[in-house]
Amino acid sequence: MRSEYIIETEDLARYYEVGGEVIKALDGVNLRVHRGEYLSIVGPSGAGKTTLFNMIGGLDRPTRGRVIIDGVDISQLDAYELAWLRCRKIGYIFQTFNLIDTLTALENVALPTIFAGVPRDEGERKAKRLLEAVGLGDRLNHKPRELSAGQQQRVAIARAMANDPAIILADEPTGNLDLHTGMEIINLLRDLNEKRGVTLISATHDLKMIGASDRVVYMRDGKIEKIEKGGQYPSIDFP
Amino acid sequence: MEEKREVGRITFSLIDAFRLGYDNVKRRFNRAALSMAAITLGIAFFSTLSLMDTFFRIYTQAEGGGLRMESYQYWLLLVSLVVCVVSITNSMLIAVYERYREIGTMKCLGALDQHVLKLFLVESIILALLGGSLGYGIGLVASIISVTFTLGFNIVLKTPPTSLLALLGETILLSVALSTVATMYPAYRAAKLDPVEALRYEV
Ligand SMILES: Nc1ncnc2c1ncn2[C@@H]1O[C@H](COP(=O)(O)OP(=O)(O)OP(=O)(O)O)[C@@H](O)[C@H]1O
Ligand SMILES: [Mg+2]
Repeated sequence: MRSEYIIETEDLARYYEVGGEVIKALDGVNLRVHRGEYLSIVGPSGAGKTTLFNMIGGLDRPTRGRVIIDGVDISQLDAYELAWLRCRKIGYIFQTFNLIDTLTALENVALPTIFAGVPRDEGERKAKRLLEAVGLGDRLNHKPRELSAGQQQRVAIARAMANDPAIILADEPTGNLDLHTGMEIINLLRDLNEKRGVTLISATHDLKMIGASDRVVYMRDGKIEKIEKGGQYPSIDFP
Repeated sequence: MEEKREVGRITFSLIDAFRLGYDNVKRRFNRAALSMAAITLGIAFFSTLSLMDTFFRIYTQAEGGGLRMESYQYWLLLVSLVVCVVSITNSMLIAVYERYREIGTMKCLGALDQHVLKLFLVESIILALLGGSLGYGIGLVASIISVTFTLGFNIVLKTPPTSLLALLGETILLSVALSTVATMYPAYRAAKLDPVEALRYEV
């Protein structure tokens, strides 16, 4: 039986100890995300957004509480299973793109398919299709340094989609982009969410992203302050 | 909640590791060249001495007389190989440090610790093959020149090619062994890297 929520967190906490002082990066977060939802997470710097993503993405273990993805408590998973989760179920998009400099756009996008055990030519065909879908069909063999910031983020989005994940975690995906390029990226993400039904969670300071999302989660000091319906800010269309 | 865990296989075949490792060596050539230089020099020294030793033995068999390598030369060789290993380790540690983000990203995309380990070890083997062959080539030229001046080029002609080939094989094996030993610790460090830390780390 598929659970109604694709992601649930229960009393999720992550404490850090720095020089004898406890920093509560997350402190009892209860969050439920519907399948196919587009959720924005906002909050001041240090609110715990990235920490929450690390927990949901299975990159870090909580001090307390649980993360349940598709009905499975991920604290029960071993290293193999967590790697599989990161590889197949979740796609990551970062503020700084984090493409691999020595690989071409095509190779970057195909990389996750290698870990997923997809045959090479099939993985590359898939990567090519994805790059075409994000409008980079003519940049397949360019290295990240030969691409603009917006183009690099498109490559990163294509890479995040390489194994058809159910969830995309985007940590300030427009943070390093200008207004126009940021808008293009937002439209692209919203498109993925609407057309492919990918659950999209995006941490952002960007009002345009908040406007595009279904719900907005406000975080502060490791806690959820409030949750509102999105779409309250009109999304700005560029001419 | 008795949900069946839907979990598949995460793979990173040796072929993929070689392809990715080869790309890395090629495209980060400056860094690779440093590690390779250490291997090349150590191996060049080793193969020069071994080849000289072979030539001396051929000479001794043919002409009599007791030409041998001096024992201090073996000590020198040992020291040079230790220096070689230490410089490869050092250079590889810097490479790991430079690739923090890349390693973190790969782990985010599903790479296991053992995959990262494999990638670094494979890269070190590629470097060892290149550096070892180059080192042997240098050793061959150096020893032939040296023997030609002392004993005459005839000795080289009298040496069976099979023994030169066997020595090439030994040299490559030694090169791979040294490089692997030298890379073990850096590769382990890379494999154990916490992706959260690696991605927080600003270059
Ligand atoms: N490894 C760590 N060691 C100690 N403290 C940490 C560590 N990682 C995060 N923190 C602390 O946890 C808190 C939450 O950090 P987090 O990165 O999740 O914030 P954020 O909401 O993503 O902020 P930003 O908008 O700046 O990216 C911060 O106070 C941060 O200093
Ligand atoms: Mg953050």
